[in-house]
Amino acid sequence: MSSRELESYRSGQPAQLADVLERVLDKGIVIAGDIQINLLDIELLTVKIRLLIASADKAREMGIDWWQGDPFLSRGNGHGELEERLRKLEEKAGLPTTRQRERSGE
Amino acid sequence: MSSEGGAARSADVLGWYLYGVVAADASPNFETAGLAVDPAHDVELLAEGPLAGVASRVSLEEFDEAALTERIGDAVWLEQKIRAHEQVLERTLSAVSVVPCRFCTVYRSESELRRFLSERREPLQAALGRVTGRVELGVKAFVDRERFVAGQAPRNEEIRELRERSASLAEGRAYLERRRLEQLVSSEVERLRTTAGNDIHARLLARAGDGMPLTLQAPEVSGREQEMIFHGAYLVGEDERKFEAALGSLAAEYRDAGVEFELTGPWPPYNFVPEELRAS
Repeated sequence: MSSRELESYRSGQPAQLADVLERVLDKGIVIAGDIQINLLDIELLTVKIRLLIASADKAREMGIDWWQGDPFLSRGNGHGELEERLRKLEEKAGLPTTRQRERSGE
Repeated sequence: MSSEGGAARSADVLGWYLYGVVAADASPNFETAGLAVDPAHDVELLAEGPLAGVASRVSLEEFDEAALTERIGDAVWLEQKIRAHEQVLERTLSAVSVVPCRFCTVYRSESELRRFLSERREPLQAALGRVTGRVELGVKAFVDRERFVAGQAPRNEEIRELRERSASLAEGRAYLERRRLEQLVSSEVERLRTTAGNDIHARLLARAGDGMPLTLQAPEVSGREQEMIFHGAYLVGEDERKFEAALGSLAAEYRDAGVEFELTGPWPPYNFVPEELRAS
């Protein structure tokens, strides 16, 4: 295939935010220990970013509406799997889980 | 330079934001001015032995754990930082091979960052060795239903008949036939997703150093109306031409089935570095 033909496969625009998010938030090395935010917290942070993006209207405005294709979010009703992951992480980190907080608030 | 609070920020304690790791002798010559997560500070190379960190100073107040939890609620802030992370890495990648870090890898001090580079030298060098001279390419394939049906009609008798009948019947009956046709096409597309998906992945993988299928994106995510039937990431080096040739022949073969391909990248090899890097 000539490079000109190949050009037609490239969108020619800056990378889609969804593609960037999938990589920057979910892939790339995570360094355990000795950083400002520890490993567990980075995972917590990125899961929280996803949950937040999923529920924020302004996320939609800025084009971050990729959660609809996110397996953690698109399966079942609501944000079940992602919330479950957050709950487990919070448990591991010794934090009160979102669910517990909700209960105590009721 | 940020326009607000310049004086207040100068009093901040500064840490280091690490974008990725490169070889110290790669002597990269890339332009990153104004791209850093904190545009007030330049991207620097911190060499430590055979490795160098691509990093820039950040306010620890801005990137403090407690502050971050609040900051991520600010969609504008979040998108800026995520884009900055990606852009610095893309610039780096245009000059040298890089092991990308995950978003928000922040060190309290230069010495801690240097200690990381020296203590994790082995796993870092292994990770870097794997991606040296290589980039990540993303491949997406979409099916255009109308063209898929048009391409199937000559071969698929059932589709052809339903198409012809729905065109000739009176409105009420034609509606039912169209519904049947839609259902039939949906199941055919699903079959295509499996067979074409496997075929595409196997043939691209044969022309790449490594590869993996990624989660399919919904139209709201991909920004295309057509249904995504394949999504994958490939680690490609000098064999890039062969990879592109393989993609070209796939595109030619699947054109009649209404399948269109999209190539993204080159990306820093996010999908081909170890997820966790613990002390060796």
